[in-house]
Amino acid sequence: MLLIQGLVLGILVGGMYALMASGLTLIFGVMRLINIAHAAVIIFASYLSWQLFIGLGVDPLLSIVILVVVFFIAGALLQKFVLSALIDKDLSLALLATLGVANVLEGSEGAFWTSSFHSINTGYAARTYQFGEIFVPEIRIITFAASVILLAGLYVLLTHSNLGRAIRATTQNRGVAQLVGVNVNRITMIAFGIGIAVAAAAGPLMGMYYPFYPNSHWGWIGKLMAIVVLGGLGSFRGTLLAALILGIAEQVAILYIPANWAAMVFFVFLFAVLIVRPQGFFGHVARESL
Amino acid sequence: MVPLVILVALPFNGLNGFLLDLLYFTFTYAAMSVGWNIIGGYTGYISLANLGFFGLGSYVAGLMLTHLGWPILLTSPLVGLLCALVAAAVGWVALRTRGPSFVIVTLAFTFIVQFLALNLKDITGGSAGLYLPLLSLDPLLRGDLFYYYMLGVLVLSIAVAIGIRRSRFGLGLIAIREDEGKAEGSGINTSLFKIVAFMISAWFAAVAGAVHAQYLNYIDPDLAFELIIMLNMIVMTLLGSRGTVWGPVLGAFLLFPLQSYLVYWLPSTIAGEVHLALLGVVLVLVARFMPNGLLVTAQELISRRPPPRLETVAVASGEPAQGRVRRNG
Repeated sequence: MLLIQGLVLGILVGGMYALMASGLTLIFGVMRLINIAHAAVIIFASYLSWQLFIGLGVDPLLSIVILVVVFFIAGALLQKFVLSALIDKDLSLALLATLGVANVLEGSEGAFWTSSFHSINTGYAARTYQFGEIFVPEIRIITFAASVILLAGLYVLLTHSNLGRAIRATTQNRGVAQLVGVNVNRITMIAFGIGIAVAAAAGPLMGMYYPFYPNSHWGWIGKLMAIVVLGGLGSFRGTLLAALILGIAEQVAILYIPANWAAMVFFVFLFAVLIVRPQGFFGHVARESL
Repeated sequence: MVPLVILVALPFNGLNGFLLDLLYFTFTYAAMSVGWNIIGGYTGYISLANLGFFGLGSYVAGLMLTHLGWPILLTSPLVGLLCALVAAAVGWVALRTRGPSFVIVTLAFTFIVQFLALNLKDITGGSAGLYLPLLSLDPLLRGDLFYYYMLGVLVLSIAVAIGIRRSRFGLGLIAIREDEGKAEGSGINTSLFKIVAFMISAWFAAVAGAVHAQYLNYIDPDLAFELIIMLNMIVMTLLGSRGTVWGPVLGAFLLFPLQSYLVYWLPSTIAGEVHLALLGVVLVLVARFMPNGLLVTAQELISRRPPPRLETVAVASGEPAQGRVRRNG
């Protein structure tokens, strides 16, 4: 019974992990760039959502709509004016630029909102449902449902639109995509914007689920990297599956070992995957020369 | 040579404690940046593990002192060696293949070491930290001791960097950075080269961490794995010019005093946060607008004056390779 409890909670949290990691894998796909600032963007969106809720009474779920638009524009601008010039020249410079962005966000959060814990408490969704012997907090159902809806939207966008086809073509082969008439620079900018927007969408959900503070993004980026490596860098479906697997593994581990040690599950998987199968489950990217 | 003589002579001329400390920290950062540059600059692999090695060095040295009574200032080379062996294991996982796994594994490594420092409470004292026995020394002499110790480590790091730059090993590392496939094709054992470069890099971070533990007489997981240390190594190297011998040194000597002044000048409630954000801004700006760093950019500006054709000939025939690298990409 305990195991089923862990399984259910694992799937629920895994849905949110999938949303958090999908932007990271999308960005890696089109740019071959590990966005070190990805979790920092999520936490920054959590803070903004908190501020909108406390200051203006905007519901965190509603704030997703605002944040997605703002962060898409910010991400696209960052890609156009900073990163695009760097990825052609030297990928490691783009990587370092994202490290810089992560620290700018972390430092600004600390300066504006102090370095103490914050969490988004809406007042609703405080109940816990009981199914037989399984207890499920309502907040986890809400964040899972919201994550699934957002991921479904992203999936439809990637598979059933011309934009999505262009993004996938750029991911698979930049040169060939350009040959068949895809404006790869423009698509890369839009895809990076989408990746950042998805991270922003995950922010309010993460903030309703877990407390956050300025440097908590370091813990998250480690987890997210483990997810995208397990799923195969650049693979959307692989990332979804890996997020569920690691969510379940973590929640089951919490039942048997102290909660802080459960975070190590991610790193155990990360190292195991890199030693045994560096390309992950679905991807083919980690192995080729970059 | 002249700057070195000046630095050696300085403490004899009534250098006050504040400046002595400032220079001690500058030497520490410079030595770590020179170390980072060997993997991050020469070889072109971005390592986020050097912070982990700094912290690991602190703890290993601190535990050797508290349990075995071995003085840190004597054991630090050994501590560095132990950490370099750990680096070999990490490198084996991350450096066998090309591609993005290195940055992920090195970041994960830093997290894991910090996590263990925090959670292996019986050994490390957890978040309460580890108090080390004090060095029984006159405070004035103590300042001088740390000053000269890190000056020595810095001189060693520069000597190693020059040695690597002039050796076949160094040429191999640069070949890996420029085109790993071709480097491998020309007979370089790229995996071995990368792992050795990573080990040397780790050695300097670990020694700096060990000495710093003794300097503070205290270690805790926040101080030993402070993010700003890693950021500084990278920003200093990039600003000075990565891939050159003197770039990281220049970066450290420019940035550290500036940062001390800034933190001193800012209101203490937000000093740390603003410091972090500004360092991030500097990193983004340097990466975007001056990726070659001060040293190489300055050299290019100077050598641009004569007609370009003559210049390339002069460079190719006359000047030794030291400090002059091809632009990346």
